[in-house]
Amino acid sequence: MNKNSFKKTELALYYLVVFFILREWLIPIMELTGTGYMEYILLFIAVSLVISLFRIHFILSWLIKGLFIAWFIAFVYGQVWAFSAEGIQFLANDLIRNLYSLMHGDWIGITDPFRTLLFFILIWMLIYLTHYWITVRMNIFYFLALTVFFVAALDTFTDYDGSFAIVRIMLLGLVMIASLFLKRLVHHSNVQIKWPTYIKMILPSIGLIVIVMVIAFFLPKAAPQWPDPMPYIKSATGQGQAEVDEGGIAKVGYGENDTRLGGSFVADDTVVFLAEVQSKQYWRIETKDIYTSKGWENSGNYGDMVIQPEENIVHSLPVGPKENSKTAAIQMLYEHDFVVQPYGLQSYHLDEEYSNLQFLMNGSTEKIKPYLDGNEVFLMDYQVEYSKPEYSYSTLKNPTEQIDPAIKERYLQLPDTLPARVRELAADIVEDKQTPYDQARAIELYFRQNGFRYDTDNIAVPAENQDYVDQFLFETKVGYCDNFSTSMVVLLRSIGIPARWVKGFAGGDMIDNNGATSTYQVTNNDAHSWVEAYIPNVGWVNFEPTIGFNNSRAIDYDLPTDTPEEDELTIDEDTKPDEVVEENEKRPQSTGQNSNIFGNVFARFTKNKVVWLIVALLIASVGGILYKTRRRWLPNVYGMLYKRKSFMETPFETSYLRLLKLLEVKGFKRKKGQTLESYALEIDRYFETVHMTKLTKCYERVIYAKNAENIDMALMKESWEYLINQVIG
Amino acid sequence: MQNKIALIIENIEKVMIGKREVAELSIVALLAEGHVLLEDVPGVGKTMMVKALAKSVSADFKRIQFTPDLLPSDVLGVSIYNPKTLQFEFRPGPIVGNIILADEINRTSPKTQSALLESMEEATVTIEGETLQITKPFFVMATQNPIEYEGTYPLPEAQLDRFLLKIRMGYPSAQDEVEVLRRVFSSERMGDLSPVISLEELLDLQEEVRNVYVEDSVKSYIVQLARATRNVSEVYLGVSPRASIALMRASQAYAKMQDRDYVKPDDVQYLAPFVFGHRIILKPEARYEGITTEEILNRIIDKSIIPIKRYAES
Repeated sequence: MNKNSFKKTELALYYLVVFFILREWLIPIMELTGTGYMEYILLFIAVSLVISLFRIHFILSWLIKGLFIAWFIAFVYGQVWAFSAEGIQFLANDLIRNLYSLMHGDWIGITDPFRTLLFFILIWMLIYLTHYWITVRMNIFYFLALTVFFVAALDTFTDYDGSFAIVRIMLLGLVMIASLFLKRLVHHSNVQIKWPTYIKMILPSIGLIVIVMVIAFFLPKAAPQWPDPMPYIKSATGQGQAEVDEGGIAKVGYGENDTRLGGSFVADDTVVFLAEVQSKQYWRIETKDIYTSKGWENSGNYGDMVIQPEENIVHSLPVGPKENSKTAAIQMLYEHDFVVQPYGLQSYHLDEEYSNLQFLMNGSTEKIKPYLDGNEVFLMDYQVEYSKPEYSYSTLKNPTEQIDPAIKERYLQLPDTLPARVRELAADIVEDKQTPYDQARAIELYFRQNGFRYDTDNIAVPAENQDYVDQFLFETKVGYCDNFSTSMVVLLRSIGIPARWVKGFAGGDMIDNNGATSTYQVTNNDAHSWVEAYIPNVGWVNFEPTIGFNNSRAIDYDLPTDTPEEDELTIDEDTKPDEVVEENEKRPQSTGQNSNIFGNVFARFTKNKVVWLIVALLIASVGGILYKTRRRWLPNVYGMLYKRKSFMETPFETSYLRLLKLLEVKGFKRKKGQTLESYALEIDRYFETVHMTKLTKCYERVIYAKNAENIDMALMKESWEYLINQVIG
Repeated sequence: MQNKIALIIENIEKVMIGKREVAELSIVALLAEGHVLLEDVPGVGKTMMVKALAKSVSADFKRIQFTPDLLPSDVLGVSIYNPKTLQFEFRPGPIVGNIILADEINRTSPKTQSALLESMEEATVTIEGETLQITKPFFVMATQNPIEYEGTYPLPEAQLDRFLLKIRMGYPSAQDEVEVLRRVFSSERMGDLSPVISLEELLDLQEEVRNVYVEDSVKSYIVQLARATRNVSEVYLGVSPRASIALMRASQAYAKMQDRDYVKPDDVQYLAPFVFGHRIILKPEARYEGITTEEILNRIIDKSIIPIKRYAES
């Protein structure tokens, strides 16, 4: 076996190990960010390593990698063949758009395909770096240390379990370090060795590593000797103490199945519909009545009600006076089987062409679906007339009505497993409140004052024998609308106030204003849940327990004694919906409804900030180390680059300037105002040669004399190479 | 030709001990067709230096000893009525020669000083409408005592501009001074010096110096230094473009002495203090603080950007 093929094989083995170490980097990134297509990214790594192994000319190598990236992006994001006309169109458009965003500092405008491109470039650079570490430095320690740090940090701070990854990395890394040490030894002593010798020399180290690993694996391990620092760090960084179950991460949006609530979810700003209204509204879709200790279900069939367009709808909710009627125009952008209901719903209006369309209201959930000739249809455009109910303050404060037992029975349901402390808490909260309305208000406001926090990240899922509400109220205190609304319903029911859970959309963002009306854009992020409680004499009243959300409820302050100046004063009890906080409006969609995998590959990158913090730290520390040690490695890189080009074919001037550059990165900086001659003397004194002066004399003639004499290139080559070797060696 | 220069230096060194640099610089001025001002306290060998140089060249050597009562006509010459021809005849003064030693130039009145300096600049003598061209080579070496001493008429700064170089002699080192004492009675005396270079050879050398190549990047380096002197806060007046020309000419001569046919930034750097030093006028406050033009020039050189590529229009 000749020397060359020995080296190739050796390098191939190193690359194989590098491949597996890089895989360990990729796994947690993929897992934590929910990125798909790991096999293709691994393929990219493999291809890059093979290219590097066979020292394929860089033009060809760039071409291959570039085409691969182009193919991947086009395939994953555009689902087109990259090398077709539309594929090229897709890639070009995306590139232009992102370059535009970059130029304008619009970092948010950068699209996922472009981020993927950057990710690939990062991998590319990483591979180049490992190549350098192996072939030039012959030392992989930094890389291994970084890998261990990366995995350990992810294991500590995130859900990723790196216990076996660490073992694998250590095994691969130690073998690598041992064999590179051997390689260094061989290299420095300038001897050639053959396979049998090589194996003989490497086997002891590998054997030792394996033995140590095996022993370590089977030895009993001591429990942690100091307390887990994580809770402290987490609380210091404001991550609360939420126990995160492996419940998976859902995507926000409007969904059907609410039987198991909890878990984190990610943002989705797909626009669901546009509403042209006079003021911001909550859009009700359906209610649920049975709490199962894990989520919500429907109690059964209460019969459907047919509603004709234009017909006045009989609804469980109170309606405001006719003269206050307003009309909202809804334009659905996303096919859903329901129509939205503002509070005070009166009737739906449709265009002529839909004259024979009907609506069906589910008696149980109050969900209204459009039907055409007995079939469910998607209604994309409609108007809805409503008059917001006004609740008389005096009536709210003076409950006289005996609530219908049917309502009581249906809306006071609670699971038998509900822990007693929930009921006790409810009783505590309303202790000094007399009327149902005041009690409901107290519960609604309870969440804003007692250490509860709104978050969509790291939200717990109740364990098998745990109650969803109980967990939220007493353990985590961190959650989103479902946690707050469900808890409020349960608390209300436990003190005897009939309540139900309502799903729908919050008001959305105003995108246009044309005088009297404004257009609001409602996205999946606006999917929301809240509470309706039955208040005697008044009926169903909506409540908003979720922190950061406000739903206006018109209260008619008609108390005669309290308002001497005015007979009647109507104000919204709560402030207008808050634009800022509503950006957080989200609720998870439990079953994958048309989940857009492709668009989502990198959407989750915005989550898991810790991962990115660690990645950024790693990159920064690699950069820092490289910068600090540049005197040691940069000259070698330059030297290698320069040596590869033939001295005889390069103009002498270029070669000389390269030598200057090399000396400079090595730390021999030519001072300002220092002439080449005196610099050359300095260099020669350091290296104890005369080569630099020789080269410099020649170079001076080239640049300062009238006609450069013929340069004795052979002589210069000797001096030049001598110096380059001195600098590198 | 090269060894001719070496011969001159060798010749001078026979009588001047440890003053090789001064000798070299004097030859630089001679080759660059400029004039030299030697400045230092009396007794350090200024006159000896000039005489040694003059003796080494087989040229017409004249010496003018300046005194307060010296008149311009004593320098330039006079027209005298010749009773035989019944005409005025021009009798050229000591200025008409090849190598002139103007000793203690600051001891004479400004009137006489300016008469000398004007002839130096134009290499002509004008008396009563008659102009006489002084034959080449024409090389003036003036000496002066530093102006702090009494009974002197300091040369105005504008006049100083006429000198290509201003050189300080400086005291010899202890070792050299011992050698000086030893030689007082030795065989090598001024009178024994013989010329080592003919007038024609000197003129040829001057011609060659004129042809020493100055690459544009080096020219721009000279300009860089000259311009820098105009932007120093301690400097009242920086150097003129004439000084830039002087520096280039001197650098050419210096390059020639190094047996090079092109100028390097090294030459420029070396000569800049000698060429620019006496052309920079410091602000009074800087002078009181003891800042010298030399320090300022060194500072400028240390900050300058050496051209390490051929000149490219940018």
